[in-house]
Amino acid sequence: MLSLKTNSLILISLFCSVLGLILIYIAAVNLEPKQIKLKDITPELVGRSVLTTGEIVYRKSHEAGHLFLTISDADTKIAVPLFVGYLNDLRENDLTEDDFQEGTKISVCGLVDEYQGQLQVIPRRKDDIKILSD
Amino acid sequence: MILESILLVFVGMGIGIFAGLTPGIHVNTTIPIIMSLSFLLPSPYYLAVLVVSVAVTEMFIDYIPSIFLGAPEADTSLSVLPGHRLLLEGRGYEAIKLTILGGVGTLLVSLIFIAILANYFQLLYEVSRPFVQYLIMGVMLFMIVTEKKPKKMLFSILILLLTGIFGILVLNCSLVPAQEVLFPSLTGMFGVSTLLLSISERSSIPKQKEDSRILISKKEILKSLFLASIAGIAVGFLPAVGISEAGTMVQYLGGSGEARSFLITISGINVANDVFSLVSVFLLGNPRSGTSVAIQGILGELLFFDVVYLIGVIMLTAGIAAILTKYLGQIIPKYLEKANYKILTVSVIIFITSLVLLLTNPLGLLILFVSTSLGLLCGYLEIRRSHCMGILLIPSLLFFTNLNGTVLSILGI
Repeated sequence: MLSLKTNSLILISLFCSVLGLILIYIAAVNLEPKQIKLKDITPELVGRSVLTTGEIVYRKSHEAGHLFLTISDADTKIAVPLFVGYLNDLRENDLTEDDFQEGTKISVCGLVDEYQGQLQVIPRRKDDIKILSD
Repeated sequence: MILESILLVFVGMGIGIFAGLTPGIHVNTTIPIIMSLSFLLPSPYYLAVLVVSVAVTEMFIDYIPSIFLGAPEADTSLSVLPGHRLLLEGRGYEAIKLTILGGVGTLLVSLIFIAILANYFQLLYEVSRPFVQYLIMGVMLFMIVTEKKPKKMLFSILILLLTGIFGILVLNCSLVPAQEVLFPSLTGMFGVSTLLLSISERSSIPKQKEDSRILISKKEILKSLFLASIAGIAVGFLPAVGISEAGTMVQYLGGSGEARSFLITISGINVANDVFSLVSVFLLGNPRSGTSVAIQGILGELLFFDVVYLIGVIMLTAGIAAILTKYLGQIIPKYLEKANYKILTVSVIIFITSLVLLLTNPLGLLILFVSTSLGLLCGYLEIRRSHCMGILLIPSLLFFTNLNGTVLSILGI
């Protein structure tokens, strides 16, 4: 049998947890990704959300269904991995693997990550990647 | 080069002891500072030796603040509960010795495993990956049903859901720097909440027994070392599975739930993962830990004898760090027994809170507040605190079921 005191503590903890989760959610929804040029994406930004644009200069399909893109502006190259689950989500926006050809200009919103020493921007939501021009 | 390397091992151990004894400092926080000192060293090999010796020493020493103060960093967070339990039974020194046994034992066992399995890791990855989501679901189901009473099962579902939502939010949104997000998230649940729950119950740390016994059978030790080696290596090649997730899985599915065997296992997973991560830079060109990323950054592509050299450094450092940890585990409780427990606990909580603010931002404090509330909720509901691992298990499950993007789109984040 839980005592009244314990019940009060449970309610207070539950209230704090739920209220805190709501505040974190509000902060997450309203967090604007940093608009940034490719050349300004540095290792210090790993883990941060950015919005950037570039032209696809390299694409490679993986046998597991992933698509690995490299985008570039004048000097800088950044990898944009599109994992198989994400490519499935993109179909809801009528985007398929074939839409991402070399020479296509795209905008990408995603988390900056570092893989094998190379910086990459990983989109997660289906609206995170947009084709700007062919 | 040998003499310089040995000298640098000792320098690295000095830094590792300082960083390890400081509550909440993860090796991934220390390594960038070490890397910034690279201009002081004439050869990249020396820098690699320094990084490895700091990382290995921290891996052993980290358990001292985690067990004696209830102040962990991300990778040792699961050791707080069994460690603190033994401390309150007067067996804190035994808890430290169990983590040493786990670290050194798994180092040897995992090296044997790595040597045997070296050519099959890619195959193992491909075979095991489709089943990881079922493993995670099995673990969560097991966590719920082992609460036995229906009311507690419902409570455990509630905690898994709340911590799962918490994990989805904090791990997918760059509210705080990604490399620091686990510190406030796990320290609140396992560290600060434990301290707050025990602060009302006691005024001092009980006198610690100094006997040299380890109250666990040889069979249990061997089983824990075996499971830790397998789990540590699996963390090295499976994406989205970290040390804490692997620890939780082994705890429930491998039967390492008892405090003593779990301390051996969680310490062993840490060591096996670090060794394998280093080897995987050579075998797969894929670094899977902060240390191995740093090593790849310093040395580039690793050659076979680079790996042999670095494993030698790991073994030398681990051997000395084990002795030092045992010594510190003996003398530190003597000082803590004399301290006022409430003042000590409040000081630790203030230190952790300040460190979160220093390493993250005010949102990091909000994360610490929520994670502490969830840890306290678990305590007051009298269910196991490991249900809080929903913070990592549910996001991992979404990753392996390819549902992460869909859930994030639904949440609009």
